[in-house]
Amino acid sequence: MDSQKVDMFLMTNAKYFQAKHLNYIRERLQVADDSKWAMIQSADLKDPTTSLLVSIFAGSLGIDRFIIGDIGLGVGKLLTCGGLGIWYIVDIFLITDATKAKNMEKLQMFL
Amino acid sequence: MTRNRLYFFLFLALIAGYSYVFSETCMKISHPTFTPCIFKNITGIACPSCGVTRSVLLLIHGNVTFAILTNPLGLIVAAIMAITPLWMLYDVFLKRDTLHSSYLKTEKILKTPLIAMLLFILISANWAWNIHKGL
Repeated sequence: MDSQKVDMFLMTNAKYFQAKHLNYIRERLQVADDSKWAMIQSADLKDPTTSLLVSIFAGSLGIDRFIIGDIGLGVGKLLTCGGLGIWYIVDIFLITDATKAKNMEKLQMFL
Repeated sequence: MTRNRLYFFLFLALIAGYSYVFSETCMKISHPTFTPCIFKNITGIACPSCGVTRSVLLLIHGNVTFAILTNPLGLIVAAIMAITPLWMLYDVFLKRDTLHSSYLKTEKILKTPLIAMLLFILISANWAWNIHKGL
């Protein structure tokens, strides 16, 4: 894929991924085939800031975990009132990284 | 989620769950109205899973009907707390992957829109019932 496209993708989507993955994404995108561009563009990436807000306001119901696609953990959080309030507080700090890791998993399928 | 991470997480969750249920049996006498639920402490109304601990405690004492009337989710939690440790031990000792693979399979089933919608309605109905009961 030509480097202009790769740079454009990284500029618009850098905030969705962990900093340590950005170099890997750039390398993989540069060797990727042009036909994958449409699929990569349409990957359903979740905004870490949104999930942080959801985690603060509805975290004790597990909705933040449901949104990023961790259904199992979401059910666990829902059934235990946000892990007795402890998991709720821990997740406020973990959720942005968890969202970025999930985004990486989604992109990984196309790379 | 990888297999070992899931098992480690479940191990911690089970220890926390069992020690909470155990401490709750002792604490009931000294602090009868204590709740760790953030949602209930902030808003004053019950959350969807308020009453699960009471339901599990009732189940331990054999009161199945009262357990269901307190919160039906208590049955699910009690089942998870009873089955998961045995299943995990089986997997760890025989170096198998059965719990992890069924966890992933269940996650996939729950992602189906129709089933997710149905469960959402059930949880909401249970929540309404919880608020009505004033748990």
